[in-house]
Amino acid sequence: MYPRPIPEDAKIKRGLYVGGVTLVVALWLLPLIAVMLTSIRSNEELMAGNYWGWPQKFSLIENYTAVFEQTAMLRFFLNSLLITIPSVIGVLILSTLTGFVLSRYPFRGSNLIFALFVGGNFLPAQVMMIPVRDLMVRLGLYDTVYALIVFHIAFQTGFATLFMRNFIAALPGELFQAARAEGASPFQVLRHVVVPLVRPALAALAILTFTFIWNDYFWAIVLTQSDAVKPVTAGLNNLRGEWTSAWNIVSAATIFVALPPVVMFFLMQKHFISGLTMGAVKG
Amino acid sequence: MSSVELRKVDKHYAGYHALKAVDLRIEKGEFVVMVGPSGCGKSTLLKTIAGLETINSGQVVINGRDVTREEPGDRGIAMVFQSYALYPHMTVAENMGFGLRMAKRPKAEIDAAVKRAAQILRLEEQLDKRPKQLSGGQRQRVAIGRAITRSPEVFLFDEPLSNLDAALRTQMRVELSSLHAQLGSTMVYVTHDQIEAMTMADRIVVLNKGRVEQVGSPLELYANPANIFVAGFLGAPRMNFIEARVETVGAGEITLTAAGMPALAFGGIDGLSAGDAVTVGIRPENLHLVEAANARQASFPGQVRLVEHLGRETVLYLDASPLQATNSDSGTGNFTVQLNKVSPISVGAQLTAGFDLADAYLFGPDGRTLTPRKPVPAT
Repeated sequence: MYPRPIPEDAKIKRGLYVGGVTLVVALWLLPLIAVMLTSIRSNEELMAGNYWGWPQKFSLIENYTAVFEQTAMLRFFLNSLLITIPSVIGVLILSTLTGFVLSRYPFRGSNLIFALFVGGNFLPAQVMMIPVRDLMVRLGLYDTVYALIVFHIAFQTGFATLFMRNFIAALPGELFQAARAEGASPFQVLRHVVVPLVRPALAALAILTFTFIWNDYFWAIVLTQSDAVKPVTAGLNNLRGEWTSAWNIVSAATIFVALPPVVMFFLMQKHFISGLTMGAVKG
Repeated sequence: MSSVELRKVDKHYAGYHALKAVDLRIEKGEFVVMVGPSGCGKSTLLKTIAGLETINSGQVVINGRDVTREEPGDRGIAMVFQSYALYPHMTVAENMGFGLRMAKRPKAEIDAAVKRAAQILRLEEQLDKRPKQLSGGQRQRVAIGRAITRSPEVFLFDEPLSNLDAALRTQMRVELSSLHAQLGSTMVYVTHDQIEAMTMADRIVVLNKGRVEQVGSPLELYANPANIFVAGFLGAPRMNFIEARVETVGAGEITLTAAGMPALAFGGIDGLSAGDAVTVGIRPENLHLVEAANARQASFPGQVRLVEHLGRETVLYLDASPLQATNSDSGTGNFTVQLNKVSPISVGAQLTAGFDLADAYLFGPDGRTLTPRKPVPAT
């Protein structure tokens, strides 16, 4: 059935197909291209209304140095790293533990707990805005990076648990029986059998949660106030306030902000080794 | 080396009685093979000994110690799985040393144990490879090696050869037997392959529907099946079964009738009365082609439906209606005859098959064997 390859000799169909794909890709990339273009223009050019034309003067270096010299983006960037990295690590550890237990050690009520993890994902996060803010104020965490770390770990672990549980459940059951028959404790099984085998899943999950948390704007403005704590997303908004007309600087800062998830992807890519479980059982 | 004892072991799954009061004693150093059809509980029984399955009641005793509540790792067992269950991210050496590593044994001891196992199994060249670089037979040997390194008291094998091709299976069968001779350990082996059971076992345990049907040496079970299930399960091609009815019960002799065959007289059988439905069993190799009916033999005419030439043997499938046989190999109405020679007989031929009553088995209405013990060939 689908997708069926288009025969080599159907020239018109192939032309339409390639044209269609190109159009969709161009539309998809248009905002990014606009931001990239703007980030290398001079401010005068933007004032003159040259948004889409070829830049008369390339201000790449000036704009990107300005991001670091004239704005607090570096501080925001560090804040984002301080928030995102511990959150991702926390989510990975917790979801591996919960996923392992829920997939391999069923107990009374384990399905209910799993349903809660899954069901939590369907709750619109915004509903919790005021309670979560109040909670953080009372815990004394409001306007600290910990507020965001705690919230993101709690909120991302639901989906991550679903992800890890299903991945671990798909590992061959006899591997676990074999390890148990050889006297490995549940913790040893987790450490020596499960974790090495779910590395591709952990890599994928790391990228996903990293991107979610890094790009979060809503909770950043709900739970932080001061510049010393704000992550980049909220910081970018600051920039707009101070530099209303300097769209080239804002664009340069935006590109800078968008880089870490991309870097993260390439860092994790080598862990996506397909067929890691091959050879475990017959085949 | 240890003995294994199961006492009234009972296991229920939700709505399913998997093991029904199983009693079994396996002696030190014995090679016991458990056979039975799919779902008979043989793998469950093995996992019960391993401790991978909990039981609802009864006791598992290894070497005189009640291990019913112990974890698998504390029972002194090692298990080899059908799927090999090798850890794909570890080398062969790491796979084989896993159990000892988990027990935090010194590295020198682990290395020595791995080396010894690799020597026994001729895996020295493969120690640094990963499982996926190995052939099926090599993987199976690594799985066995992983069991050997822990020097267990009891080896448990769960259909270890069923993923291998026929030639390799024959070779591994011989290797496992010689491994047993070399190590002298107690081995419990589950299979659905009766050739594996017949060739490797000191004793065979035949299981059916969660119950032990019979325990005994391979030739004992073949010559003297306790009931119609064991008779039908062991032997290939399967035993022919003829539905019959008790006609007369006389002093020391009963006569049976089956549609399409002269009356049969059996001596030395008690506990039947006229009108009882019984089954006569005759192995395919005990059916002969006869010229004409004679008094000493039971005989019946039939037409050849299918001929299988196996080289030294020829298997004929006969349609002998109206005589009815129940034989799952060929369907109702068909008899299987095994001739120990090449035969020119072809499909469609009319012939008469006969058998000595001394070779036949008689099973009562409850399926129990009624004929007297037959001699077991000495080995």
